[in-house]
Amino acid sequence: MLNAIDKQVLKEVAGLEGIPKGAYNIRKNGKLLGREVSANITIETNEKGDGIIIDIKPGTVNESVHIPVILSQAGLHDTVHNTFIVGEGSDVTIIAGCGIHCGGKESEGHSGIHEFQIKAGAKVKYVEKHIAIGEGTGRRILNPTTKVFMAENAQVEMELTQLGGVDEARRFNEAKIGAGSVLLITERVMTDGNQMAESRNEIELAGTDSKTNIVSRSVIKGNSSQDFYVNLTASARCYGHIECDAIIMDNGRNQTVPALRALHPDAELTHEASIGKIANDQLMKLMSLGLDYDAAVNRIIQGFLR
Amino acid sequence: MLELKNISFRTPESDDGAQSPSGRTIIHDLSFTFESGVFCAITGPNGSGKTTLAKLIMGINELTSGKIIFNGSDISKLAIHERSNVGIVYGFQHPARFKGTTFRDLLSIAAGTDDEEKLAKIISRVGVCSLAFLDKRVDSKLSGGEIKKIELATVIAKNPKVAIYDEPDTGIDLWTIGPMVELLKREQKENKTTTIVVSHNKAFLEAADTLLLIRDGKIGYSGDLAGAVPILEDLSVCAFNELCHGEVNAQCYR
Repeated sequence: MLNAIDKQVLKEVAGLEGIPKGAYNIRKNGKLLGREVSANITIETNEKGDGIIIDIKPGTVNESVHIPVILSQAGLHDTVHNTFIVGEGSDVTIIAGCGIHCGGKESEGHSGIHEFQIKAGAKVKYVEKHIAIGEGTGRRILNPTTKVFMAENAQVEMELTQLGGVDEARRFNEAKIGAGSVLLITERVMTDGNQMAESRNEIELAGTDSKTNIVSRSVIKGNSSQDFYVNLTASARCYGHIECDAIIMDNGRNQTVPALRALHPDAELTHEASIGKIANDQLMKLMSLGLDYDAAVNRIIQGFLR
Repeated sequence: MLELKNISFRTPESDDGAQSPSGRTIIHDLSFTFESGVFCAITGPNGSGKTTLAKLIMGINELTSGKIIFNGSDISKLAIHERSNVGIVYGFQHPARFKGTTFRDLLSIAAGTDDEEKLAKIISRVGVCSLAFLDKRVDSKLSGGEIKKIELATVIAKNPKVAIYDEPDTGIDLWTIGPMVELLKREQKENKTTTIVVSHNKAFLEAADTLLLIRDGKIGYSGDLAGAVPILEDLSVCAFNELCHGEVNAQCYR
């Protein structure tokens, strides 16, 4: 069922050596490749037939769902709408992501639109990895959209990673955070050559005592460019922090635009942003421990994107 | 044996920081030999060239002229990492802070292994008890004392033949200096590490076998502490030195 390329992509995207345990839905070239549900997690195709609905029963704990997407058909631009309903008090891990294998001249793309309805007290770890591989020259395009709607006292941790091979990426993250809920987003992106990546974020701290921490780590090599925008709006007593760091190498370009909007007198919002080359004192330290310049740069980048 | 032969260092910047054709000479034709296994303290007034000298040995600053000979080989042209790999390691006064990199990462690079048992031995050698400390991120959240401990540990983990410490007591509380001196003495004794410490601190000056006093980029004195005391007093080297600049001093408490 899985060929060698599929296996390679699955390993890179979801850390899978084969078919995963537990609930999963594997989509390949716009079609269903395999699906498994569990007693607590159901996966069904939505009414329009353009995506799936993942329903996690209230109280489901220590379970995971894998929903990787494989794209290896030249010229295909696949769009999918997935909805996640995470029941009250559950604690689950969702592993998503898309791997493109490009073997020809035509471009290939995937737009994954994920909507999360996080019920009260639920806890979710969402891991999304994007990669593109293959010898082809076609452009590899990934445009993910993530919408998160959190009820009270929920916690969502999102790790969004794109470490290579993707020519164009336009990400949009939207979140509305309910009372007492916490949203943690860490986005790591590395671009090279003539690649571009853009990330737009609209985050609202809507409920009393809601919290968020948004971290962006960018490494921009070659002639690539990355832009990161975040609008953090506070509509209640809340706490929010944005931390964006970009390391520019070669001729990379970066725009980082964090915006804070307090619409409530008890809102506490902070941000820190930095753009620059690798700090000289970091290089000196690693070289004084015996690493040559290139090895020192690699170790610093590895740590930065961890 | 580490020999400095007529070394000079000139920077293109003049005293006010602007570029000038004549530049500014920081180390003037300095020669000195560090015998193997010796504990040497480099001291002198602020701005005298102590740190520059230490950085010239490590290759962080490039010599303008002269030679550095280490165990018979000319290392003057070697890059920092090459000097490190022949056995010279440097502890920075203000250690670098990273994002994401952990103490374990730095220690593994220095020790050349990520074997937890070996790393545990190293950290216990430097007086860090908790294994959890290994996964501390070496970032701006660390206290001054913690980052200096990490700096020291990474130097020692490399098992250097020559360990250079630039003001190792910066950011360290008074009560930690004693154990730090003991640690460096123990490393010197057990591993025959040639130990070079740039410091104003009496504890390090007293611990040293030899004292090298730098003044205006030249050797003002070399020998034991007793011989240096009158000169040090004359130079007004005191713990409040950095605060004593300016014309309107309240009172000198020395």
